[in-house]
Amino acid sequence: MTDRLTFDAIVVGAGPAGVAAALTMAHGGLNVIIIERGRFAGAKNLFGGVFYTHALADVLPDYWERKPPFERPVTEQGYWMLSPDSAIRVMHKSERYLKEPADAYTVLRARFDPWFAEQAVAAGALLITRTTVTRLLKDERGRVIGVDTDRPDGCVYAPVVIIAEGVNNLLTQQAGLIASDLPPKYVALAVKEYINLPAKELQTRFGLSGPREGVAIDVFGDVTLGLPGTGFIYTDQSGISIGVGMLLDEFVTHRLRPYEVLERFKNHPVVRPYLEGGEVREYGAHLIPEMGYDRMPKLASDGVMVAGDAAGMVDALHREGTNLAITAGKMAGETALAAHQAGDFSAAFLSRYRRSLEASFVLKDMKQYRRMTDFLESSPQFMGTYVNLLNEAALRYFTAHGIPKRTMEHDILKMVRERRSFTGVAWDMLKLMRAMRG
Amino acid sequence: MSNRTNGQTAPVADVDLPRVNIDDLIVCLKYYVDEENAHIRIKNPEICAACDPKPCLAFCPAHVFETDRHGRMMVGYQACIECGSCRVACPFRNVDWHLPRGGHGVAYKYG
Repeated sequence: MTDRLTFDAIVVGAGPAGVAAALTMAHGGLNVIIIERGRFAGAKNLFGGVFYTHALADVLPDYWERKPPFERPVTEQGYWMLSPDSAIRVMHKSERYLKEPADAYTVLRARFDPWFAEQAVAAGALLITRTTVTRLLKDERGRVIGVDTDRPDGCVYAPVVIIAEGVNNLLTQQAGLIASDLPPKYVALAVKEYINLPAKELQTRFGLSGPREGVAIDVFGDVTLGLPGTGFIYTDQSGISIGVGMLLDEFVTHRLRPYEVLERFKNHPVVRPYLEGGEVREYGAHLIPEMGYDRMPKLASDGVMVAGDAAGMVDALHREGTNLAITAGKMAGETALAAHQAGDFSAAFLSRYRRSLEASFVLKDMKQYRRMTDFLESSPQFMGTYVNLLNEAALRYFTAHGIPKRTMEHDILKMVRERRSFTGVAWDMLKLMRAMRG
Repeated sequence: MSNRTNGQTAPVADVDLPRVNIDDLIVCLKYYVDEENAHIRIKNPEICAACDPKPCLAFCPAHVFETDRHGRMMVGYQACIECGSCRVACPFRNVDWHLPRGGHGVAYKYG
């Protein structure tokens, strides 16, 4: 018993949630181990690319002095709505985005996550990479008391374990916090390419005045063949992150190869010129948990808490996730600190974690958009029919045909009526409002 | 989509997707293949043989699943990028999926 490898806390996974938890606990004086299966923190991680700094500032107030490896600040952002041969582009650019540090940056995770993990190590946490946690260790009363790993004699013990394992929630299930795997209708599959382009060329194409400007575009409509989902184009320091994501169920039902959907997007006449001559440096894929508030796991049990993707902490509508993860990790870390002070690691005590999250934007936003995934799945016309309609209406609106404008307006209304009845439109708008208001 | 309220079918059937050779994409990925341990296995090959749609042949983003000349399912786990799609989307839950051993599998350079 005495030579058991014991820590004050174990964190599984060195992504944003796990590192934020470890940092918080290390700052509070706990002896913390982070166990990461990749060769380095971030080796297994991939996202679209926009990172919001507010949550980082909460765990590391001086993060800017520590030179985080951001790609570009997001100084222009908005939406492209693609039909097969056209696009309506609604972009917001403002001088007010030009501040340092900015509110949002594009990020490449295999660069950012190692830096973030280093900050936890600097604070005193022990980071063990290349080690997969294989199961939770429980005592005879079912309380979590540690983890087993794939190292020889790989058991590690602690009175509290924070699961930040990501979307493949194997340990979360083993902890009894969630009953089953996420069904494919509540998880999105996203594929992405990182395409290299010289910074100067990139800036010219996107109308950026220098390295302190960047664009984040979310794309709807034809990018997903009109199916519920989105595409994205984000500018990195000297490259473009481009990708597309849809509910996994859509790929299954329609037998779509995700990389072919992405290739089609890249070949769209409006998109292609931006990528011309660029070199694909990396391809990748990742799942995004989109089960929403009502299907989240229990967040704590005896000796264990769960944070980040493993807990379904994603706001797909606003492409937010890492900031929810960092905030949740911080709150789990604070709860672990309080638990150590009280000497109480029971589910009842750790339920403070959930209360902190409820008081924060994390669960407030999750709750507000609880119907979003179901709404999109039940209203495919939002991505297909409407986007095509808008593009065709725009074409008529902007073209002079020698047709009286009154006739043009009439044509547009007729087109709407043909593709989706007025009552259908009214019904869709009502459902959209419900999904947005929560 | 069985649960769609408006009865409208999605406009995908008539879309021609460009053919992509997946090898051209994964060639730029860095893998540390665990030669001794396959982290993905088919639980029961007969279930795959009887599965008509075989959606995994399409949705897997690394095209890990392929049928051989006799229609048997082959698993090229070496190319897996560990997204977990097959774990949750196999209609028969016939994929035995584990995390690769520590340090093995894909290692993104950009992510």
